[in-house]
Amino acid sequence: MTAEGRFPEPGAPAGQPVRGTEPLPGPEPLRGAGPRSGTGPFPGPGPGPAPAVGSTASDGEWLRVHPASPFVRGWVALAAIAFFFGRDIFERSLQGRPVFQDELAGRAPFLLAGGGVVLLIAVLGFVLTWYFTKYQVSGGYVRVNTGLLFRQQRQARLDRVQAIDIVQPLLARIFGLAELKFEVADAGESAVRLAYLKIEDARQLRATILARAAGVTAGTGSPGEAVPEAPEFPVLAVPPSRLVGSLLLSEQSFFVALGAVVSVVLSVLTESSAFYLYLIPAALGLAASYWSLFNKGYNFTAAISPDGIRLRYGLLDTQAQTLPPGRIQALKITQPPLWRPFGWYRMQVNVAGYGLVDNAGEGTSRTTLLPVGRLDDVMSMLALVLPDPGSDHPADVFTAGLAGLDSDGGYVTTPRRARFLAPLGWRRNGFTATGTALLLRSGRWWRELVVVPHQRTQSMALQQGPLARRFGVADLVLHTTAGPVTPRLAQAGVDEALALFDQQSARARLARKRQTTEQWLRQVAPPLAEAVEAPQPVVEPPETPPVVEPVETQTKEGPKHG
Amino acid sequence: MHTEAIDPPGIVWQRVSPKYVTVRLVEWAVGNLVTVLLLCLPLVFVLRGWWVWPPLWLAVAAPAVMLVAAIWRLVLIPRQVRAIGYAERDDDLLIRGGIFFQRTMAVPYGRMQYVDIGVGPVERGLGLCTLKLHTASPGTNAKIPGLPAAEGARLREQLAARGEARLAGL
Repeated sequence: MTAEGRFPEPGAPAGQPVRGTEPLPGPEPLRGAGPRSGTGPFPGPGPGPAPAVGSTASDGEWLRVHPASPFVRGWVALAAIAFFFGRDIFERSLQGRPVFQDELAGRAPFLLAGGGVVLLIAVLGFVLTWYFTKYQVSGGYVRVNTGLLFRQQRQARLDRVQAIDIVQPLLARIFGLAELKFEVADAGESAVRLAYLKIEDARQLRATILARAAGVTAGTGSPGEAVPEAPEFPVLAVPPSRLVGSLLLSEQSFFVALGAVVSVVLSVLTESSAFYLYLIPAALGLAASYWSLFNKGYNFTAAISPDGIRLRYGLLDTQAQTLPPGRIQALKITQPPLWRPFGWYRMQVNVAGYGLVDNAGEGTSRTTLLPVGRLDDVMSMLALVLPDPGSDHPADVFTAGLAGLDSDGGYVTTPRRARFLAPLGWRRNGFTATGTALLLRSGRWWRELVVVPHQRTQSMALQQGPLARRFGVADLVLHTTAGPVTPRLAQAGVDEALALFDQQSARARLARKRQTTEQWLRQVAPPLAEAVEAPQPVVEPPETPPVVEPVETQTKEGPKHG
Repeated sequence: MHTEAIDPPGIVWQRVSPKYVTVRLVEWAVGNLVTVLLLCLPLVFVLRGWWVWPPLWLAVAAPAVMLVAAIWRLVLIPRQVRAIGYAERDDDLLIRGGIFFQRTMAVPYGRMQYVDIGVGPVERGLGLCTLKLHTASPGTNAKIPGLPAAEGARLREQLAARGEARLAGL
């Protein structure tokens, strides 16, 4: 029995209700044997052997973040001070002048003492902040105490986790440190932010939290024992060349080219070179923006593990996100017109913990499920998000949603009578519902497909303005958590919209009944029992996870899009 | 009772208190009359000869247009209040509103995170309250204004009880 035994297969449909049945068999026999043996054969940047990092996993123990973390966090201030003084001294010594001016030399001791006191206070502040920041994982909760004068004690339920991110800014990466972010459905700041831990500790803590949140270790099991990290299987990677291509062909580039042409034309017309001057700050800003996108999107890889979807990306600052199963509230696949010749798509998601895009760069990258990918990449990501597509021909339905017109793939579009309201898009605007999700497609040039799982629908509204009433159409808006995706079915026929309104209420109700707990392993207990009993080698099933099925059907059709 | 095109058929809508018209009238007065009066100031200044810039026609037209729009909104208020309705179904609460821009919304009980009851000064004088439902989505702008206080309290308890019974996660 290995780590596999604890987890169902990645592709196991989440729709098997176990309401009212007994909980999992006791955790002890499952986690007891060989914590690392299950993950051994698999590739992936797993942490070192568990015993070395056992400290973080111990139950109920109050721990502190790494002692160096305040300095890593405050390195900008320290670097600025060092740079300021260092440059001065360097220049003076180069010019052969005394390091201190004569008039200052007399006061030097006082200045030095003053500076020393300021530095000491700053360092003391750092140390005290560090000393009074403690965290603990026990009994289904994670607790963090912070603050010296204004104390704050925060506790978050582990099974409310919406996402766990491990972030490594460049400096922290140099020192082998990482920041762990624990997100709950608050849409504001991260519920728990531990900066910084050793990277192995952070990974171990993530594994512990995810295992507890999944419902693997009920109660306060034997302290000191490390929970093995869930095994993971790579799904896709975005090559840098494609990332660069996608950036060059993005909407942004279109406006850059337009701006450049306009300014050149203006310069020629007015015979003045002043317009070039305006281009310099614009070019700098653009370079920074492209760099940021490149830095964030570089080396993007996605993997699946029983804990959820793992996304890794970043050139200098790296980030590893874990989205547990069922935490994706809505999903959007878009294709700008310039990407169409290459068959590229972008995928974005709403996750309750990430909330709105607060910090532009960070927000957009965190809510990006796939920065740029081909159709088969999109299909494999869709298979991860929706393990059970609820349709017999998922590939057809989704392909029609991405590129289809009219009633391809069973979509119901805007009625012909309303074509004046959407002269381009009326053949694209449409919806279809599978057994597990509602698909909304729109956009003739800027193609877009929105997928909302039925059990994630919060509320719905039908809207109709005077013009829409004249044409007998209505809009249906689905409300989901804050994020880049705003599901809206535009200009559907009134009868179809009303029917969908009713059916969708019923579907969402059924789906909610099916989902009984947030501890995702408890929802799919039957496969676990099978896995435990199955005598077959545990290495085999993950080699061909059922998840990847749609990918294979797609790769056959791939060339015509590629 | 006449229902609009986008309302699900067969729903018996509960209407809000007609006294809510008064609340809307007060809001209208505060919002629109103040704007019109402010826009009348240039007219006065021009007539007194203190200002030369806005020509007389503009100084007259601006408040006049505002006044017409305000009166239009005033005329609509009773109909808008009559258009607000809600219906408790087995699994969700339906809320409708609007005449020109209509909206019919379904909020499942299991999705409610919390229920607010707010009472403004005018509402308090009339014994009314405003009930607001919150889900995990900021897009859920579910508000039932102009409920009699007793009905508001009953609805809140009812919603809380039903939410408890059908509680779902995110």
